[in-house]
Amino acid sequence: MSAMRTEDLIRALAKDAKPVERLAHPAWRAMMWMMVSVVYVAAFLWVVGVRPDLSNKMSDPRFLIEVGAALLTSMMAAAAAFCAGCPGRPLWERFAPLPFLGVWLASLGEGCWRQWLQAGPEGLHLQVDLTCFQSITAVGIVPAIAILLMIRRGAPIAPMSTTGLAILAATALGAAALRLFHTQDMSLMLLVWQFGSVALLAGFGFLAGRYVLRWSLPQLTADVGSHPPSC
Amino acid sequence: MSSSNSSDDKVAREARWQELMRAAQDGDDAAYSRLLSELLPALRRMVRYRWRNYEGAEDIVQDILMSLHSVRHTYDPGRPFMPWLVTISSRRIADAARRASSRSAYETTVETMPETFAGDDAKNEQDTSDDQEAIRVALSGLPEGQRQVIELMKIQGLSLQEASAHTGKSVASLKVTVHRAIKAMRQALERKT
Repeated sequence: MSAMRTEDLIRALAKDAKPVERLAHPAWRAMMWMMVSVVYVAAFLWVVGVRPDLSNKMSDPRFLIEVGAALLTSMMAAAAAFCAGCPGRPLWERFAPLPFLGVWLASLGEGCWRQWLQAGPEGLHLQVDLTCFQSITAVGIVPAIAILLMIRRGAPIAPMSTTGLAILAATALGAAALRLFHTQDMSLMLLVWQFGSVALLAGFGFLAGRYVLRWSLPQLTADVGSHPPSC
Repeated sequence: MSSSNSSDDKVAREARWQELMRAAQDGDDAAYSRLLSELLPALRRMVRYRWRNYEGAEDIVQDILMSLHSVRHTYDPGRPFMPWLVTISSRRIADAARRASSRSAYETTVETMPETFAGDDAKNEQDTSDDQEAIRVALSGLPEGQRQVIELMKIQGLSLQEASAHTGKSVASLKVTVHRAIKAMRQALERKT
Protein backbone atom coordinates (compact mmCIF):
# COMPACT_ATOMS: atom_id res chain seq x y z
CA MET A 1 0.00 0.00 0.00
CA SER A 2 1.47 3.36 -0.97
CA ALA A 3 2.26 5.80 1.81
CA MET A 4 1.37 8.72 -0.50
CA ARG A 5 -1.15 9.23 -3.27
CA THR A 6 0.60 9.28 -6.63
CA GLU A 7 -0.98 12.60 -7.55
CA ASP A 8 0.42 14.05 -4.30
CA LEU A 9 3.80 12.60 -5.15
CA ILE A 10 3.73 14.34 -8.54
CA ARG A 11 2.94 17.63 -6.81
CA ALA A 12 5.83 17.08 -4.38
CA LEU A 13 8.23 16.21 -7.21
CA ALA A 14 7.21 19.26 -9.22
CA LYS A 15 7.76 21.41 -6.16
CA ASP A 16 11.24 19.88 -5.82
CA ALA A 17 12.07 20.49 -9.51
CA LYS A 18 15.08 22.75 -9.36
CA PRO A 19 17.01 23.46 -12.57
CA VAL A 20 19.46 20.67 -13.32
CA GLU A 21 22.76 20.62 -15.15
CA ARG A 22 22.30 18.34 -18.14
CA LEU A 23 24.71 15.48 -18.54
CA ALA A 24 27.28 16.21 -21.24
CA HIS A 25 27.51 13.97 -24.30
CA PRO A 26 29.19 10.62 -23.51
CA ALA A 27 31.93 11.22 -26.09
CA TRP A 28 32.79 14.56 -24.50
CA ARG A 29 32.86 13.02 -21.03
CA ALA A 30 35.07 10.19 -22.30
CA MET A 31 37.47 12.77 -23.75
CA MET A 32 37.56 14.67 -20.47
CA TRP A 33 38.29 11.46 -18.58
CA MET A 34 40.99 10.49 -21.08
CA MET A 35 42.69 13.85 -20.72
CA VAL A 36 42.79 13.62 -16.92
CA SER A 37 43.99 10.01 -17.08
CA VAL A 38 46.68 10.68 -19.67
CA VAL A 39 48.09 13.49 -17.53
CA TYR A 40 48.27 11.09 -14.57
CA VAL A 41 49.83 8.32 -16.68
CA ALA A 42 52.39 10.78 -18.08
CA ALA A 43 53.31 11.82 -14.54
CA PHE A 44 53.58 8.16 -13.57
CA LEU A 45 55.88 7.43 -16.51
CA TRP A 46 57.97 10.46 -15.65
CA VAL A 47 58.46 9.11 -12.13
CA VAL A 48 59.20 5.46 -13.00
CA GLY A 49 60.95 6.16 -16.33
CA VAL A 50 60.24 4.57 -19.71
CA ARG A 51 61.86 1.35 -20.87
CA PRO A 52 65.34 1.85 -22.35
CA ASP A 53 64.45 0.30 -25.73
CA LEU A 54 61.29 2.34 -26.22
CA SER A 55 62.56 4.18 -29.28
CA ASN A 56 63.28 0.85 -30.99
CA LYS A 57 59.92 -0.55 -29.97
CA MET A 58 58.16 2.48 -31.41
CA SER A 59 59.27 1.38 -34.87
CA ASP A 60 57.89 -2.14 -34.36
CA PRO A 61 54.42 -2.33 -35.99
CA ARG A 62 53.37 -5.24 -33.79
CA PHE A 63 54.18 -3.25 -30.66
CA LEU A 64 52.30 -0.23 -32.01
CA ILE A 65 49.26 -2.33 -32.91
CA GLU A 66 49.22 -3.93 -29.47
CA VAL A 67 49.58 -0.67 -27.54
CA GLY A 68 47.24 1.16 -29.91
CA ALA A 69 44.57 -1.54 -29.54
CA ALA A 70 44.86 -1.34 -25.74
CA LEU A 71 44.53 2.44 -25.86
CA LEU A 72 41.53 2.30 -28.20
CA THR A 73 39.95 -0.37 -26.00
CA SER A 74 40.36 2.00 -23.07
CA MET A 75 38.85 4.96 -24.93
CA MET A 76 35.92 3.01 -26.34
CA ALA A 77 35.24 1.31 -22.99
CA ALA A 78 35.13 4.70 -21.30
CA ALA A 79 32.73 6.06 -23.94
CA ALA A 80 30.61 2.91 -23.64
CA ALA A 81 30.51 3.24 -19.83
CA PHE A 82 29.25 6.81 -20.15
CA CYS A 83 26.70 5.77 -22.79
CA ALA A 84 25.47 2.98 -20.49
CA GLY A 85 24.48 5.62 -17.94
CA CYS A 86 22.29 7.49 -20.42
CA PRO A 87 18.82 5.92 -20.68
CA GLY A 88 17.48 5.41 -24.18
CA ARG A 89 20.80 5.11 -25.95
CA PRO A 90 21.25 2.11 -28.28
CA LEU A 91 22.47 -1.10 -26.72
CA TRP A 92 25.21 -1.67 -29.31
CA GLU A 93 27.20 1.21 -27.84
CA ARG A 94 28.04 -0.94 -24.84
CA PHE A 95 29.84 -3.38 -27.15
CA ALA A 96 31.91 -0.69 -28.87
CA PRO A 97 35.22 -1.71 -27.20
CA LEU A 98 34.89 -5.33 -28.34
CA PRO A 99 36.52 -4.93 -31.82
CA PHE A 100 39.56 -3.22 -30.29
CA LEU A 101 39.68 -5.74 -27.48
CA GLY A 102 39.65 -8.41 -30.18
CA VAL A 103 42.55 -6.77 -32.04
CA TRP A 104 44.51 -6.50 -28.78
CA LEU A 105 43.87 -10.15 -27.95
CA ALA A 106 44.68 -11.20 -31.51
CA SER A 107 47.99 -9.29 -31.45
CA LEU A 108 48.96 -11.12 -28.25
CA GLY A 109 47.81 -14.42 -29.74
CA GLU A 110 49.80 -13.78 -32.90
CA GLY A 111 52.84 -13.05 -30.74
CA CYS A 112 52.42 -16.36 -28.92
CA TRP A 113 52.13 -18.19 -32.26
CA ARG A 114 55.20 -16.44 -33.65
CA GLN A 115 57.27 -17.25 -30.56
CA TRP A 116 56.11 -20.87 -30.75
CA LEU A 117 57.30 -21.07 -34.35
CA GLN A 118 60.64 -19.42 -33.51
CA ALA A 119 61.52 -21.28 -30.32
CA GLY A 120 59.05 -24.14 -29.96
CA PRO A 121 57.68 -24.89 -26.47
CA GLU A 122 60.55 -22.90 -24.93
CA GLY A 123 59.10 -19.81 -26.56
CA LEU A 124 55.96 -20.21 -24.51
CA HIS A 125 57.57 -20.58 -21.12
CA LEU A 126 55.28 -19.15 -18.46
CA GLN A 127 56.55 -17.75 -15.17
CA VAL A 128 54.78 -16.16 -12.25
CA ASP A 129 55.03 -12.41 -12.69
CA LEU A 130 52.79 -10.33 -10.50
CA THR A 131 54.46 -7.10 -11.65
CA CYS A 132 51.87 -6.75 -14.39
CA PHE A 133 48.96 -6.93 -11.96
CA GLN A 134 50.60 -4.54 -9.51
CA SER A 135 51.62 -2.08 -12.21
CA ILE A 136 48.25 -2.11 -13.94
CA THR A 137 46.59 -1.52 -10.57
CA ALA A 138 49.00 1.30 -9.74
CA VAL A 139 48.58 3.02 -13.12
CA GLY A 140 44.88 2.34 -13.33
CA ILE A 141 43.81 3.34 -9.83
CA VAL A 142 43.53 7.09 -10.44
CA PRO A 143 41.75 6.73 -13.82
CA ALA A 144 39.48 4.14 -12.19
CA ILE A 145 38.53 6.46 -9.34
CA ALA A 146 38.00 9.31 -11.80
CA ILE A 147 35.72 7.32 -14.07
CA LEU A 148 33.78 5.80 -11.16
CA LEU A 149 33.10 9.28 -9.84
CA MET A 150 32.03 10.43 -13.30
CA ILE A 151 29.68 7.52 -14.04
CA ARG A 152 27.86 8.10 -10.77
CA ARG A 153 26.24 11.14 -12.42
CA GLY A 154 24.55 8.85 -14.92
CA ALA A 155 21.47 6.71 -14.40
CA PRO A 156 22.14 3.25 -12.93
CA ILE A 157 20.08 1.47 -15.58
CA ALA A 158 22.84 -1.08 -16.28
CA PRO A 159 25.08 -0.89 -13.22
CA MET A 160 27.11 -4.02 -13.85
CA SER A 161 27.90 -3.22 -17.48
CA THR A 162 28.70 0.36 -16.58
CA THR A 163 31.21 -0.43 -13.85
CA GLY A 164 32.66 -3.35 -15.83
CA LEU A 165 33.28 -1.08 -18.81
CA ALA A 166 34.64 1.68 -16.55
CA ILE A 167 37.18 -0.64 -14.95
CA LEU A 168 38.05 -2.07 -18.36
CA ALA A 169 38.78 1.48 -19.54
CA ALA A 170 41.06 2.18 -16.57
CA THR A 171 42.91 -1.14 -16.65
CA ALA A 172 43.35 -1.16 -20.43
CA LEU A 173 44.94 2.27 -20.13
CA GLY A 174 47.13 0.87 -17.36
CA ALA A 175 48.11 -2.07 -19.57
CA ALA A 176 49.01 0.25 -22.46
CA ALA A 177 51.13 2.37 -20.13
CA LEU A 178 52.76 -0.76 -18.69
CA ARG A 179 54.17 -1.61 -22.12
CA LEU A 180 55.98 1.72 -22.08
CA PHE A 181 57.98 1.07 -18.91
CA HIS A 182 57.98 -2.70 -18.34
CA THR A 183 60.43 -4.68 -20.50
CA GLN A 184 58.39 -7.84 -20.69
CA ASP A 185 57.84 -8.80 -24.35
CA MET A 186 56.97 -12.49 -24.06
CA SER A 187 53.52 -12.65 -25.63
CA LEU A 188 52.33 -15.51 -23.43
CA MET A 189 53.40 -13.62 -20.31
CA LEU A 190 51.61 -10.54 -21.60
CA LEU A 191 48.55 -12.59 -22.47
CA VAL A 192 48.30 -14.25 -19.08
CA TRP A 193 49.57 -11.63 -16.66
CA GLN A 194 48.75 -8.40 -18.45
CA PHE A 195 45.59 -9.20 -20.39
CA GLY A 196 44.54 -11.59 -17.61
CA SER A 197 44.88 -8.82 -15.00
CA VAL A 198 42.73 -6.53 -17.13
CA ALA A 199 40.09 -9.23 -17.57
CA LEU A 200 40.15 -10.10 -13.86
CA LEU A 201 39.83 -6.51 -12.67
CA ALA A 202 37.12 -5.72 -15.22
CA GLY A 203 35.29 -8.82 -14.04
CA PHE A 204 35.45 -7.58 -10.44
CA GLY A 205 34.20 -4.22 -11.64
CA PHE A 206 31.30 -5.91 -13.39
CA LEU A 207 30.33 -7.86 -10.27
CA ALA A 208 30.62 -4.80 -8.03
CA GLY A 209 28.27 -2.77 -10.23
CA ARG A 210 25.13 -3.31 -8.17
CA TYR A 211 26.89 -2.15 -5.02
CA VAL A 212 28.62 0.85 -6.58
CA LEU A 213 25.78 2.27 -8.63
CA ARG A 214 22.42 2.53 -6.88
CA TRP A 215 19.34 4.60 -7.41
CA SER A 216 19.41 7.65 -5.21
CA LEU A 217 15.77 8.60 -4.85
CA PRO A 218 14.76 12.04 -3.59
CA GLN A 219 13.94 12.55 0.06
CA LEU A 220 10.90 14.72 -0.40
CA THR A 221 10.20 17.28 2.25
CA ALA A 222 6.98 18.55 0.73
CA ASP A 223 4.00 18.94 3.03
CA VAL A 224 1.95 16.41 1.11
CA GLY A 225 1.69 12.79 2.23
CA SER A 226 4.25 11.11 4.39
CA HIS A 227 7.51 9.51 3.30
CA PRO A 228 8.12 8.22 -0.22
CA PRO A 229 8.69 4.52 -0.80
CA SER A 230 12.31 3.54 -0.41
CA CYS A 231 14.53 2.41 -3.24
CA MET B 1 -6.74 6.96 -41.92
CA SER B 2 -7.11 6.19 -38.20
CA SER B 3 -3.62 4.67 -38.01
CA SER B 4 -2.27 7.81 -39.63
CA ASN B 5 -4.03 9.92 -36.98
CA SER B 6 -2.70 7.68 -34.25
CA SER B 7 0.81 8.04 -35.63
CA ASP B 8 0.41 11.81 -35.79
CA ASP B 9 -0.81 11.81 -32.18
CA LYS B 10 2.25 9.89 -31.11
CA VAL B 11 4.57 12.28 -32.93
CA ALA B 12 2.80 15.28 -31.39
CA ARG B 13 2.90 13.71 -27.93
CA GLU B 14 6.59 12.88 -28.29
CA ALA B 15 7.36 16.48 -29.30
CA ARG B 16 5.26 17.84 -26.42
CA TRP B 17 6.94 15.60 -23.85
CA GLN B 18 10.39 16.52 -25.17
CA GLU B 19 9.53 20.18 -24.80
CA LEU B 20 8.03 19.71 -21.32
CA MET B 21 11.08 17.76 -20.19
CA ARG B 22 13.42 20.41 -21.52
CA ALA B 23 11.45 23.04 -19.58
CA ALA B 24 11.44 20.83 -16.46
CA GLN B 25 15.22 20.51 -16.65
CA ASP B 26 15.37 24.30 -16.66
CA GLY B 27 13.31 24.39 -13.44
CA ASP B 28 9.79 24.99 -14.81
CA ASP B 29 7.73 23.21 -12.15
CA ALA B 30 4.41 23.74 -13.97
CA ALA B 31 5.77 22.04 -17.09
CA TYR B 32 7.20 19.27 -14.93
CA SER B 33 3.93 18.72 -13.11
CA ARG B 34 2.07 18.58 -16.42
CA LEU B 35 4.61 16.15 -17.88
CA LEU B 36 4.44 13.76 -14.91
CA SER B 37 0.64 13.94 -14.89
CA GLU B 38 0.57 13.07 -18.58
CA LEU B 39 3.04 10.25 -18.04
CA LEU B 40 1.07 8.72 -15.19
CA PRO B 41 -1.55 6.79 -17.24
CA ALA B 42 1.17 5.46 -19.54
CA LEU B 43 3.28 4.36 -16.59
CA ARG B 44 0.32 2.67 -14.92
CA ARG B 45 -0.42 0.79 -18.14
CA MET B 46 3.21 -0.23 -18.46
CA VAL B 47 3.43 -1.48 -14.86
CA ARG B 48 0.09 -3.30 -14.91
CA TYR B 49 1.03 -4.98 -18.19
CA ARG B 50 3.95 -6.58 -16.35
CA TRP B 51 2.32 -6.90 -12.91
CA ARG B 52 -1.19 -8.20 -13.51
CA ASN B 53 -3.25 -8.27 -10.32
CA TYR B 54 -0.28 -7.16 -8.29
CA GLU B 55 -1.42 -5.06 -5.37
CA GLY B 56 1.90 -3.18 -5.21
CA ALA B 57 1.68 -1.86 -8.79
CA GLU B 58 1.06 1.70 -7.66
CA ASP B 59 4.19 1.55 -5.47
CA ILE B 60 6.19 0.67 -8.58
CA VAL B 61 4.61 3.55 -10.50
CA GLN B 62 5.69 5.90 -7.69
CA ASP B 63 9.13 4.33 -7.69
CA ILE B 64 9.44 5.01 -11.42
CA LEU B 65 8.30 8.61 -10.99
CA MET B 66 10.94 9.21 -8.33
CA SER B 67 13.57 7.48 -10.45
CA LEU B 68 12.71 9.73 -13.42
CA HIS B 69 13.01 12.69 -11.09
CA SER B 70 16.39 11.65 -9.71
CA VAL B 71 17.95 11.18 -13.17
CA ARG B 72 16.10 13.85 -15.12
CA HIS B 73 19.45 15.51 -15.87
CA THR B 74 20.40 12.48 -18.00
CA TYR B 75 17.77 13.30 -20.63
CA ASP B 76 19.32 14.79 -23.74
CA PRO B 77 16.76 17.17 -25.36
CA GLY B 78 18.28 16.36 -28.72
CA ARG B 79 17.19 12.74 -28.43
CA PRO B 80 13.73 11.10 -28.38
CA PHE B 81 11.94 11.12 -25.04
CA MET B 82 10.12 7.78 -25.17
CA PRO B 83 13.22 5.52 -25.25
CA TRP B 84 14.55 7.43 -22.24
CA LEU B 85 11.27 6.92 -20.37
CA VAL B 86 10.82 3.28 -21.35
CA THR B 87 14.40 2.36 -20.44
CA ILE B 88 14.08 3.77 -16.93
CA SER B 89 10.61 2.33 -16.41
CA SER B 90 11.62 -1.13 -17.60
CA ARG B 91 14.68 -1.05 -15.37
CA ARG B 92 12.65 -0.13 -12.29
CA ILE B 93 9.97 -2.72 -13.05
CA ALA B 94 12.71 -5.35 -13.39
CA ASP B 95 14.23 -4.19 -10.09
CA ALA B 96 10.84 -4.51 -8.40
CA ALA B 97 10.43 -8.00 -9.86
CA ARG B 98 13.82 -9.00 -8.53
CA ARG B 99 13.00 -7.62 -5.07
CA ALA B 100 9.67 -9.46 -5.04
CA SER B 101 11.34 -12.64 -6.19
CA SER B 102 14.03 -12.48 -3.51
CA ARG B 103 11.37 -11.77 -0.86
CA SER B 104 9.25 -14.72 -1.94
CA ALA B 105 12.32 -17.00 -1.80
CA TYR B 106 12.22 -16.60 2.00
CA GLU B 107 8.47 -17.10 2.35
CA THR B 108 6.52 -20.37 2.56
CA THR B 109 2.79 -20.63 2.09
CA VAL B 110 1.15 -22.97 4.64
CA GLU B 111 -2.47 -23.89 5.20
CA THR B 112 -2.15 -24.31 8.97
CA MET B 113 0.29 -22.23 10.92
CA PRO B 114 2.66 -24.48 12.90
CA GLU B 115 2.66 -24.30 16.69
CA THR B 116 5.46 -22.07 17.83
CA PHE B 117 5.09 -21.97 21.63
CA ALA B 118 4.72 -24.68 24.25
CA GLY B 119 2.24 -22.69 26.33
CA ASP B 120 -1.42 -23.66 26.40
CA ASP B 121 -2.41 -20.38 24.72
CA ALA B 122 -0.56 -21.38 21.59
CA LYS B 123 -2.11 -24.87 21.41
CA ASN B 124 -5.21 -25.83 19.62
CA GLU B 125 -8.11 -27.51 21.37
CA GLN B 126 -7.10 -31.00 20.29
CA ASP B 127 -3.53 -30.64 21.59
CA THR B 128 -4.76 -29.36 24.95
CA SER B 129 -7.25 -32.20 25.25
CA ASP B 130 -4.54 -34.78 24.40
CA ASP B 131 -2.20 -33.34 27.04
CA GLN B 132 -4.89 -33.36 29.72
CA GLU B 133 -5.79 -36.96 28.99
CA ALA B 134 -2.13 -38.07 29.22
CA ILE B 135 -1.70 -36.29 32.53
CA ARG B 136 -4.90 -37.83 33.85
CA VAL B 137 -3.65 -41.33 32.96
CA ALA B 138 -0.24 -40.64 34.51
CA LEU B 139 -1.88 -39.36 37.68
CA SER B 140 -4.16 -42.34 37.98
CA GLY B 141 -1.14 -44.63 37.78
CA LEU B 142 0.41 -43.14 40.93
CA PRO B 143 0.15 -44.82 44.35
CA GLU B 144 -2.75 -43.53 46.46
CA GLY B 145 -0.61 -41.37 48.79
CA GLN B 146 1.28 -39.67 45.97
CA ARG B 147 -1.89 -39.08 43.94
CA GLN B 148 -3.60 -37.44 46.89
CA VAL B 149 -0.67 -35.06 47.49
CA ILE B 150 -0.51 -34.07 43.80
CA GLU B 151 -4.24 -33.44 43.69
CA LEU B 152 -4.05 -31.26 46.78
CA MET B 153 -0.95 -29.25 45.87
CA LYS B 154 -0.86 -29.13 42.06
CA ILE B 155 -4.56 -29.25 41.18
CA GLN B 156 -6.29 -27.64 44.15
CA GLY B 157 -3.29 -25.33 44.73
CA LEU B 158 -2.79 -25.91 48.46
CA SER B 159 0.46 -24.82 50.07
CA LEU B 160 2.80 -27.23 51.81
CA GLN B 161 1.48 -26.14 55.22
CA GLU B 162 -2.14 -26.51 54.17
CA ALA B 163 -1.50 -29.91 52.59
CA SER B 164 0.37 -30.92 55.78
CA ALA B 165 -2.61 -29.93 57.91
CA HIS B 166 -4.96 -31.76 55.53
CA THR B 167 -3.03 -35.04 55.35
CA GLY B 168 -1.30 -35.00 58.76
CA LYS B 169 2.09 -35.55 57.09
CA SER B 170 5.13 -33.38 57.79
CA VAL B 171 6.20 -30.71 55.31
CA ALA B 172 9.49 -32.58 54.65
CA SER B 173 7.61 -35.76 53.92
CA LEU B 174 5.27 -33.95 51.52
CA LYS B 175 8.24 -32.48 49.63
CA VAL B 176 9.67 -35.96 49.12
CA THR B 177 6.29 -37.33 48.10
CA VAL B 178 5.71 -34.54 45.54
CA HIS B 179 9.20 -35.05 44.10
CA ARG B 180 8.68 -38.78 43.71
CA ALA B 181 5.18 -38.34 42.27
CA ILE B 182 6.29 -35.85 39.64
CA LYS B 183 9.24 -38.02 38.70
CA ALA B 184 6.94 -41.01 38.27
CA MET B 185 4.47 -39.00 36.19
CA ARG B 186 7.26 -37.65 33.97
CA GLN B 187 8.48 -41.19 33.33
CA ALA B 188 4.95 -42.29 32.53
CA LEU B 189 4.49 -39.38 30.05
CA GLU B 190 7.85 -40.08 28.41
CA ARG B 191 6.93 -43.72 27.96
CA LYS B 192 3.71 -42.64 26.33
CA THR B 193 5.41 -40.34 23.80
